[in-house]
Amino acid sequence: MTDSSDAPAMVREPEQLHGLLAEYQTPGQLITAAEKVRDAGYARWDSFSPFPVHGIDPAMGIRPTILPWIVFVCGLAGGTGALTFQWWTSTQNYPWIVSGKPFFSLPANIPITFELTVLAAALSCFISMLVLNKLPMLSHPLDRCRRFARVTDDRFFILVQANDPKFDGRETLNLLQGTTPRSIERILEDNESPSAMPRGIVYGLLILSSAALVPFALTTLARFSTSERPRVHVVPDMDWQQKFKPQRANAFFQDGRAMRLPVDGTVAVGELREDDHFYRGKVDGAFAKTFPEQVKVDEATMQRGRERFDIYCTPCHGVDGAGQGMVHQRARSLMQGTWVPPTDLHQENLAYKPVGELFDGITRGIRNMPPYGRQIDTADRWAVVLYLRALQRSRAATLEDVPGPQRAGLE
Amino acid sequence: MSHPSDSSHEAHGHEDNIVIDGEADRLVKVALGIGSSALVAAAALGMGDWAKLQRAYLVAFMYVLSLGLGALWFVAIQHLTSAKWSVVVRRVAEILASNMVLVAALSLGVVVPMLMGSTDLYVWLDHAKVEQDHMLHHKSAYLNLPFFVVRWAFYFGFWIWLGRRFFSLSVRQDKDGGSGISTALRHTSAPGMIAFAVTLTFCSIDLVMSLDATWFSTMFGVYYFAGCVLAGYSSLGLALIWLQSKGRLTNSVNQEHYHDIGKMMFAFTVFWAYIGFSQFMLIWYADIPEETHWYHWRFEGSWKVVSILLLVAHFVMPFFGLMSRHVKRNKKTLAFWAVWILVIHYVDLFWLIYPNGGGEVPLGVVDVLCLVGVVGLFFGFAARRARRVNLIPTGDPRLADSLAFQNA
Repeated sequence: MTDSSDAPAMVREPEQLHGLLAEYQTPGQLITAAEKVRDAGYARWDSFSPFPVHGIDPAMGIRPTILPWIVFVCGLAGGTGALTFQWWTSTQNYPWIVSGKPFFSLPANIPITFELTVLAAALSCFISMLVLNKLPMLSHPLDRCRRFARVTDDRFFILVQANDPKFDGRETLNLLQGTTPRSIERILEDNESPSAMPRGIVYGLLILSSAALVPFALTTLARFSTSERPRVHVVPDMDWQQKFKPQRANAFFQDGRAMRLPVDGTVAVGELREDDHFYRGKVDGAFAKTFPEQVKVDEATMQRGRERFDIYCTPCHGVDGAGQGMVHQRARSLMQGTWVPPTDLHQENLAYKPVGELFDGITRGIRNMPPYGRQIDTADRWAVVLYLRALQRSRAATLEDVPGPQRAGLE
Repeated sequence: MSHPSDSSHEAHGHEDNIVIDGEADRLVKVALGIGSSALVAAAALGMGDWAKLQRAYLVAFMYVLSLGLGALWFVAIQHLTSAKWSVVVRRVAEILASNMVLVAALSLGVVVPMLMGSTDLYVWLDHAKVEQDHMLHHKSAYLNLPFFVVRWAFYFGFWIWLGRRFFSLSVRQDKDGGSGISTALRHTSAPGMIAFAVTLTFCSIDLVMSLDATWFSTMFGVYYFAGCVLAGYSSLGLALIWLQSKGRLTNSVNQEHYHDIGKMMFAFTVFWAYIGFSQFMLIWYADIPEETHWYHWRFEGSWKVVSILLLVAHFVMPFFGLMSRHVKRNKKTLAFWAVWILVIHYVDLFWLIYPNGGGEVPLGVVDVLCLVGVVGLFFGFAARRARRVNLIPTGDPRLADSLAFQNA
């Protein structure tokens, strides 16, 4: 390519003109020149600078970009999409009670909604910016202009394209000469560089994208096949640690177990439980018919029992104790054939059982009900028994049991 | 941020009207008059219900404190980052931040009743209750009157010193020029910012969080800080718009500076919601009774309306309202959202301080009078100080950059 700025009229015939490139030394000159080109009514032209020049947008007459709207819409779509997806998974596709919250509880869904809003907005911003700027652009006629290389350093350029409807060799040249450029250069279309993507890049991309499929292929293979060989241990000293885990064998001890039992008759501090009535609900080996002396039968204990009952018992037995709790309803809705329904606590045989036996049932569990002795304090278990008694009584209550003020409404 | 300015910009700046002159006198008279009479009226009306008056005053005081701290933080962060864009708007913030002496005087309205033995607001001042309650007793090593007074003196002593230093050195730079004072203030603001974070956090814990002395949230100080910054930027924007409507700074402050103030209002609207939600979600998810009661009170009865109002009007509406660049670059729309934020910021503090054991929203005339009183005094004194100085720091070496500042 020849430097033709001194002789703009000489054009080599077979090569087509791409445009005229004017070079400037300061951003101020660039802005003044851009204003002149803008006012002359050109449409296909651009300016180039080593850094963002303030005020270049109005000087070039560039309209505000549509990018913010794209980002806004994509952000909204990300947020609503995340929220809708969470709603669908947690209420339609796979409803599951998590820590006693409703199936769809908004606060739990906000972090994911927030993250996906940001992610969709950021990705759409990045990708739309590339698309709107027609990037990536692998080759451009300006790439072959040696003078243009200084655009990344300290020079400023304006390129008016020859395919602009207003472009006229002499007139455009005059216009650019009137903007005090350092030089003006004719840029020819690039007919020499191959237009196809270089083979190396194509093969490279193909190899990379096939390689990216390998992990998925291996995962799929492992998912649908069996193997005789032991699994691979990546970090052996984490998989085999120098310690004994619970329930493992240890030849060092005569009984062969790694877990050691306390010496017979050991009682931990504060764990002595001699009082049979209070701790086991038994008097002289039979279930107690009365509450132990440590438990005060009063309003406070009743309220405490109600609270504990609502926390620990209602999931299965229901708030009214009739055995229609959330867990039961869910099991029914999943049609679990093996499900044993929770006991209706108002059954006659339960109502006549001694309090000690009810206490024992809660403590050690009964049939498929697990033991609650570890979860509910001893005094609280007695409180639950007291509330249970009141609950059972409520089914067989007469009008005389209702306090005076409330009675009027029921009569 | 900006490329070297050409000389025309500088000439513009020097031609500007940068003294407030007689305009301040009217504002001083009106603001101080309204402010002091509102406070007197509040005291007269509130005499009957001493506990209510104290709480109303505490809300108003925390509000005016947030205005001062917001401005102080603004000045400190500009020095810390050697910001260029903000030089033309910094003096107004310096004037507001140097008002900390007044805010300290106003805080006596909270502290003196405590010293006189009032236990209406703070249960940890009540010896009998502290003795009965295990947790209060446990906390009394920190929550006790003598130690509180020491901390209070330290907070306000530090804020007064910092505000005055920023103001007086900047004013001296108007005469002396040079970059030495800029460097000195940058060196002040680095450790100053750390001390600011600590004092603001503990002050909000002492004055607001300890209202319910059994409740605790490590996020609390940051939550109050988010409100302070929002109030600081909003009041700064409004002060500038008011000055320009009176023909001051018209050639110095332009839509580029408003755009940046608007960006920060938008950013801290999101920040406020982020912090508020982070605090809420952890407590909601863990569902531990020691923590949840604080939110329970705010989700019962008419307080629930206020809680939802905060979500909608403190976050959702300004979030979408301030999003567009056109809104931030237009003085009228920016002023609208600044007023909006300043109003909803009061609701936020009201919601933070009032509910104690549930009940209904008790907004009354006394609350409004207290607010008008302290805010009137705040801006009255600020105008009086503005009378003595230039409205832009003419000696700052970065002034030319600030005048020529453009958003990309």
